[in-house]
Amino acid sequence: MIALVLRGLSTRKLRSALTAIAILLGVTMISGTLVLTDQIDRAFVQIFQQGNSKINVVVKQKPPFKDPQTEVFLNADLVTAVRAADGVRLAEPFIQVQGYVIVDGEPMDQTGGAPSFVFSSVSEELNPYSPIEGRLPTASGEIAIAKEIATKSKAKVGQAVTLATQDGIKPVKIVGIVQYGDGTTSLGGSTTVLAPLIDVQNWWSLQGKASYIYAKAKDGVSDEQLKANVRAALPQTDVIVQTGKEDADEQASVLNDLIGKIIRYALLAFAGVAVLVGAFIIYNTFSITVAQRTREFAMLRTIGASRRQILGTVVGEAFIIGSVASIIGIGLGMVFAWGLNKLFGAIGFGLPATGLILSWQTVVVALAVGVGITVLASIFPALRATKIAPIAALREGATLPVGRFQKLTPALAIVIAVLGAAGMVFGLISEADTTSRLLTLAGGAILIFVAVAMLARFIVRPVVGVLSVPITKVAGGVGKLASENAVRNPARTAVTAAALMIGIGLVVFVTIFVGGLRESFTGAIDNSLKSDVTVTARGFGGSLPAGVLDAVKAVPGVETASPVGGTAAQVDGQTFALIGVDLTTITDVYAFDWNDGSDEAVQSLGSDTALVEEAIATTLKLATGDSFKIQTISGKSATFTVAGTYTDPTILNGFVVDQAALKPLLQSNATGLNTVFVTETPGSNPDTVQAALDEALKGYPTAQVQSNAQQKDQVASSVNTILVIFYALLALSVMISLFGIVNTLVLSIFERTREIGMLRSVGTTRRQLRAMIRWEAVITSIIGGVLGVLLGIMFGWAVCKGLESEGLSFVFPTVQIVIFLVLSIVAGIVAAILPARRAAKLDVLEALQYE
Amino acid sequence: MSTEITSTPSAVATDAVVVATDLTKIYGEGDSEVRALDGVSVSFPKGQVAAVMGPAGSGKSTLMHILAGLDQPTSGSVLVDGTELAGLNDQKLTLLRRDKIGFVFQFFNLLPMLTAKENIELPMKIAGSTPDPEWQATLVEATGLGTRMTHKPAELSGGQQQRVAVARALLSKPAVIFGDEPTGTLDSKTSSEVLALLRRAVDEFGQTVIMVTHDASAAAIADRTLFLRDGKIVRDAGHLSAGEILDTIKTLE
Ligand SMILES: Nc1ncnc2c1ncn2[C@@H]1O[C@H](COP(=O)(O)OP(=O)(O)O)[C@@H](O)[C@H]1O
Ligand SMILES: [Mg+2]
Repeated sequence: MIALVLRGLSTRKLRSALTAIAILLGVTMISGTLVLTDQIDRAFVQIFQQGNSKINVVVKQKPPFKDPQTEVFLNADLVTAVRAADGVRLAEPFIQVQGYVIVDGEPMDQTGGAPSFVFSSVSEELNPYSPIEGRLPTASGEIAIAKEIATKSKAKVGQAVTLATQDGIKPVKIVGIVQYGDGTTSLGGSTTVLAPLIDVQNWWSLQGKASYIYAKAKDGVSDEQLKANVRAALPQTDVIVQTGKEDADEQASVLNDLIGKIIRYALLAFAGVAVLVGAFIIYNTFSITVAQRTREFAMLRTIGASRRQILGTVVGEAFIIGSVASIIGIGLGMVFAWGLNKLFGAIGFGLPATGLILSWQTVVVALAVGVGITVLASIFPALRATKIAPIAALREGATLPVGRFQKLTPALAIVIAVLGAAGMVFGLISEADTTSRLLTLAGGAILIFVAVAMLARFIVRPVVGVLSVPITKVAGGVGKLASENAVRNPARTAVTAAALMIGIGLVVFVTIFVGGLRESFTGAIDNSLKSDVTVTARGFGGSLPAGVLDAVKAVPGVETASPVGGTAAQVDGQTFALIGVDLTTITDVYAFDWNDGSDEAVQSLGSDTALVEEAIATTLKLATGDSFKIQTISGKSATFTVAGTYTDPTILNGFVVDQAALKPLLQSNATGLNTVFVTETPGSNPDTVQAALDEALKGYPTAQVQSNAQQKDQVASSVNTILVIFYALLALSVMISLFGIVNTLVLSIFERTREIGMLRSVGTTRRQLRAMIRWEAVITSIIGGVLGVLLGIMFGWAVCKGLESEGLSFVFPTVQIVIFLVLSIVAGIVAAILPARRAAKLDVLEALQYE
Repeated sequence: MSTEITSTPSAVATDAVVVATDLTKIYGEGDSEVRALDGVSVSFPKGQVAAVMGPAGSGKSTLMHILAGLDQPTSGSVLVDGTELAGLNDQKLTLLRRDKIGFVFQFFNLLPMLTAKENIELPMKIAGSTPDPEWQATLVEATGLGTRMTHKPAELSGGQQQRVAVARALLSKPAVIFGDEPTGTLDSKTSSEVLALLRRAVDEFGQTVIMVTHDASAAAIADRTLFLRDGKIVRDAGHLSAGEILDTIKTLE
């Protein structure tokens, strides 16, 4: 039987290859993603371990809760206690902050919003950086730069440059050029600057603070022993003592959670779509070929093959196709990972990466998905093959019997659709955690896709009925024939179209969703901001130097400058933003959308009252008059009473309090200033004011001045980047569905060989034949495109409605939808090229005699 | 793969391989009712070629399908090599076909992707048993294909393909071989090669062949000729010449 399966596969090479491609691309994405993210993961671990390679024990502050956006600091004085611990040879405080060097007016910072770091320079015995030229900085005003900066800027040792700090621009001198570890890896593109501890403390308002205390052991003292000794010397409960390796692994895993995991799950989601589309195509291909092989199976049955053996032949074929495709897919996955890595680098989001890693887990997952899905998709067709009665071998034109199951299709499809809709609703409105909500949402969407695919064959006839009118007009007789061919086997056309539907549906959905995101930002800017210009800090979680506010206020043409600051804070174990505003000016620059309260109430906010954003109030079940206890990342806490609620999921999304009430809850280095909203004096020239602001803030390089229009542009451009990435990933699924169309056409042409011979013999030209096939493909792709657009709009609308409280609004993407429909027609034409050629090539006489 | 096929002790002549008793097959209901078989009783002894003839629609194919267990009669019983077919489930019927029945069809006898040799071995492969090499060699010789055994069906003539099909049916030494118009698509020369092989199967190898045919010259090789009309056996004769057969057909029409 196995020999029979293999022989069958090799005779139907083209078909087997097309089927394999359907699953191969999905497996490529899965294994590529796993390879890439393993690589990122490993790179993070490697980088941090290299960073800590000279360090035996690390002491750090234990934050009251985790917030990846906030750095926490500990008291640098603890170093005295660490030094006194048994077995410590050397201990030094270390600080890491955000900042960058400016060479000849060119800022040497990271592109793409990633942070650029300034590290305090510890002695060479502890320092992961070593000078390749000059020396480490020791005296105030000295710095060392990473070799990558030196290469890029051509800065030399001894050169005078400036350093962008929290406290403005500081003149410094380069005394060394350093490399990280052995120079083979770098920390995310490396814009690193080393400066003496005292300068970093002073220029980042961190007097007396440290990020870590590093300790080195005396000879013969193990890391674990040293850790125990240091722990014993530090009775404080709010500090953590770890070995260098533990700390490195933790940092790597934090960063991996932040970057690697997001990339992993996002890419896997798209890979899942590709696999789903592949499953449809495999199902369809097997359904068609089982039908075509009815007599072959019947003949096998007459000569003694059992039902189980027939099942085995079909499933065995699927198993082999799945295995071969998965193995090739794993290979291509390595190429995919390599390519993505290069792509990330090219768009300025360079990820640290080591060599390609193909772990056994990747191989197992890829094989399991590839083989599993192929076999699963082949089971229904295989079961139908077992229903073929042996007597079918003796009847000419025997067809596959209608399965019992098939009669239940409409009812089953409706049940599946209802389940799917329930899943989506649950995903949108339940209060479960995000992961399970997203999973049920995705599961619901998949069920709806499946249900629509099952029901699609009932709309094929009416839709083609409508389409055939214009097609016949354009293409004449061949158009009519094409329409008739499309409805000959509605289930086949429907499933082929459904594969395309998934891709197009998700493209439309993503367009609507991302459009909704953009709209939520731009809408918030339009509706909530009364200010004309906003000053923010570049980079993430960045706060502005305190001097910025006065500098802004001094600019002519500035009417009001209202400062806003914030910190991460927890209420009932959930993390929110605690926002401090200037009570007298905030209502001049910001329009509260009140649910309960008024602008007057803002003026009378006291030191223990707060305004709460509506969605948060709902989550925490807070109403005006209720009190709640809040703890900020500094560990300090306070109790506030709700004085009012307002809606704003975008700009002031959190608890709003007086900035005077916020100040005592901040970490000691925090300025409490993140944003300044500025209104211009009526009648002043906006361009002049903005230019004056830029000029006034020259000394604060992290400050960024943007008009409302510029903010919107910035949002639009980052949203467009996201869209492009999504489209590129979905394009793969659409491509797979094109293979599906090719496959179906090739198979039906093969089946209609005699008929095509007849058409040619009665005078159909090759060109007409090609046109006929092309129109068949276009009909299929139009059905897929229209269904996809409809489902995409439905999903988009549902998700935007469901997330309305989080600011998402539904915008109908008319232009894009027209483009997608045109593209699906083009897709059909492209898919028809190969099958049409094959059909046209058939020799008339041979085709007529074909059995 | 062995099975218990219960033999019913019967009063039937021990040398009968296939025994049909009072077979009726009705298609459709009411006005559109068709009696494809109407009370057919017949038994086929071992070691004979029997030809079933009759005008189109007389019930030849229906009779053969029911005798071979491919279809169920509306009433009546069929014994194949002592086994009552009525009440056998699909699995039992499959095993019965494997062990006791061989088929030669008009069309689509061979799998296009297998060579002639592999096609011959296919039923044994499916059953998971090994053919007797001597017997296989004899059959290969009997097909007269020689070196063409390694060719695919597409590279063989129609007559060669049918001879391969006959060899395939013979390989497992079945109790009976059914043929549905086995020469229906062949010209007279190739047709006679196939018929000669069937004849030889009976004379030399002691097989039993029951074939439905339209062709008087095919029926002329038979030891026994049955004529059907309107679902009834209207004449049951021994060996007839082609001329006699044509005469009988005329009287039937
Ligand atoms: N599956 C069927 N359904 C309905 N009627 C059938 C079917 N098969 C055969 N018949 C009818 O039964 C009669 C006998 O058919 P058949 O055995 O095929 O005749 P023959 O092989 O002698 O030409 C015919 O009238 C035919 O129309
Ligand atoms: Mg017939």
